[in-house]
Amino acid sequence: MSWLPSKVSPASAAHESAPDQSIESLVALHHGFVWRVLRGLGFSRADADDAAQQVFMIVARKIESINASSARSFIYGSTLRVANNARRGRRRRREMATDDELDRAEPEALGPEQRATVVEARALLRELLAQLPDKFRRVLILAELEQLEVAEIAALERVPVGTAASRLRTARQQFRELLEAARDRNPFLNEA
Amino acid sequence: MKPDPIDQLGARLFQAGRQEAPPDGALARAVAAARREQANAVSGSRLSRRTAAIFWLAAAALFAGAVFFVRNGEPTGGISAEPRGSVERQGAPQPPSRPVPAADAAPSATSLESAIPSAAPPPAPVHSAPATLTDELGALKRASSALALGDTQAALAALDQYDRMKGQKLRAEATLLRIEAWSRAGQGDRASALAKQFVAQNPGSPLVDRARSFVK
Repeated sequence: MSWLPSKVSPASAAHESAPDQSIESLVALHHGFVWRVLRGLGFSRADADDAAQQVFMIVARKIESINASSARSFIYGSTLRVANNARRGRRRRREMATDDELDRAEPEALGPEQRATVVEARALLRELLAQLPDKFRRVLILAELEQLEVAEIAALERVPVGTAASRLRTARQQFRELLEAARDRNPFLNEA
Repeated sequence: MKPDPIDQLGARLFQAGRQEAPPDGALARAVAAARREQANAVSGSRLSRRTAAIFWLAAAALFAGAVFFVRNGEPTGGISAEPRGSVERQGAPQPPSRPVPAADAAPSATSLESAIPSAAPPPAPVHSAPATLTDELGALKRASSALALGDTQAALAALDQYDRMKGQKLRAEATLLRIEAWSRAGQGDRASALAKQFVAQNPGSPLVDRARSFVK
């Protein structure tokens, strides 16, 4: 696939430069990561906001036992747990189907048409991701949204590197098939 | 070779996803929620320490009562199903079993979903174990506060305490504070020597400029 991970991802940068682990710095470093993972898992913007707060409440409770080297791993695990609880417990399916993008103020540089395209693209992305089995969806989120290397994905998923690579291959293949099936709805179709 | 159009379409979708930013104020809300939780955890931990103290006092009283009974109130002529020693053992309070905290509180390998640690308060820091970042930050904050008040001796004492911690992760910050403390305490030469050493050993550190300012 052509959307190969870049060498320096936002999440990697946060991981490598986390000498200070006050709760404020942990939130500052990892909030974007948590929020994007939650969005990739199908949370609406508002729910991702709420769930991210829950994640960092857990982090705040456990900060004394979190090592600098394992902070992101802990935070990722907490994010998945919060996401699973939220999905199990509530009206997640209905909320996931809700398009809450329209109240989102995109960068002013974008015109109305471009904004609509971006909103459509994100909705389609989440729709396609939602059709993948969890373990494939997660590795794809980490690889494509967070642009992590396979070794980093393996560490976060707590699986051997070979397993992570294999899951990523399958995830990409399945996503590709979904993408082809939804080709006509892809807002970037005319640009490709 | 021309890139596959499907790959390009996928790449654009993910790019759009990557560029999405959280709503305004989301970060501040997360910080506020975490701070609240931290404050609650601290007060909860104090409460549980108090509860634990009461528990141990009660257990000690029960134990004393049991020992007194066995020594002075032992029934005569009765046949006990248990030897005396076992009565004493049974009377002795057993420490409550506590889950042993894993060295790494990160989620387990097999199930990330079941990886969130319990809400039990973390154990008190043990000197033989590596210090947590909170311990380290606490010592450095004490040193920094003392420096701000002009109390260089207290600052150096806090830094000495920091130096005794194992597995330090904030050594660079501590060294810089020590340089500053020595400098303010009138030990300029010592501060300068340490600053030189710091600059030489940490050329890429963001603190290096500050350290350099102490080099004579």
